[in-house]
Amino acid sequence: MIPPDSDDPVPPARPGVRPFLQSGSQHSTGGYTPTGEHPPVEASTNTLRPFVITSGRTDGGDPDIGMETQVTLVPGAPASRLSPETRAIVALCEESPISVAEISARLHLHLGVTRILVGDLRATGQLDVHVLDNDTPDPETIMRVIRGLRSIS
Amino acid sequence: MDFDPSANRVVGTARIPGAPAPKKAPVPVKIIVAGGFGVGKTTTVGAISEISPLTTEAEMTSESVGIDDPGQATMKTGTTVAMDFGVLTIDQTLKLYIFGTPGQTRFAFMWDDLVRGALGALVVVDTNRIDDCYPAVDYFERQGLPFVVGINTFNGQMSYSIDEVRWALAVREDVPVISFDARFRASVRDALLVVLDQALDKAIRMKS
Repeated sequence: MIPPDSDDPVPPARPGVRPFLQSGSQHSTGGYTPTGEHPPVEASTNTLRPFVITSGRTDGGDPDIGMETQVTLVPGAPASRLSPETRAIVALCEESPISVAEISARLHLHLGVTRILVGDLRATGQLDVHVLDNDTPDPETIMRVIRGLRSIS
Repeated sequence: MDFDPSANRVVGTARIPGAPAPKKAPVPVKIIVAGGFGVGKTTTVGAISEISPLTTEAEMTSESVGIDDPGQATMKTGTTVAMDFGVLTIDQTLKLYIFGTPGQTRFAFMWDDLVRGALGALVVVDTNRIDDCYPAVDYFERQGLPFVVGINTFNGQMSYSIDEVRWALAVREDVPVISFDARFRASVRDALLVVLDQALDKAIRMKS
């Protein structure tokens, strides 16, 4: 057996394609397996670069929009053309006030993306974003949290 | 120029005349649960939350602001991390969010968005890996955010005593070091009450 020449390039275990492209080509070559072992649906959405949805904007998020900031639907807001993601956000806000973090988690949207889209929907008059006037907690609010926590068992 | 319409930006939402009043939303407050990987942050969040903990993916900006390398002040890298959080409705007008912060590296904590407006933090410690919580302790000390060190006792066992942990962390006298069990709601509730006591002290000091 001839030992491998050290000058020979070591064959890569996988082709030297960027991972993102690789997963794309796997899909296009029809990775259908009759065993039913499909990758979960989320796996494909995760490969999408998150900020494609925001047309590449990554820093347009309003700094006042925090993770816990509450969002509500503007009653009787004018109908406007919405992307699937923004339509999903509007649908989530229909029932009751919801935080930006919950929107992000429930729609599997990157938090930064969610902030930008929520900001867009506020700008177009679809959503109310309840930004707090004062983000330093006051003693009275803390007392209410303490009383609330003490009452749970 | 007499009137520049662009200068008169509408900050809120455009309203239709005669539309119903905007919906009321509860005031959100938040507590941070921090610590190294696998110390029981998600268990802590899950024990107190009224919903199963949710996960959100977020970008963490790690910025070296002259801590380790003052020469490269603008080096900035982004990492996407998963973060768990839970909710506890205090009443119709007040909601408590509990955010579990990921990561144990120093710069992973350079996340001012997360701490802004937070009441305080619980730093969860596993006595087998005390060092994992150092970045969190460093960060909250620097931010001046009230925090409590909570030793997660898992099976009611601790490799070190509270005093030994306090010594290892070298936290200020007024920073409480307590033990709790992340699996039990009442235990997590009590730990959060200690955090809230610290938060209340600070809020009263700030007001006067």
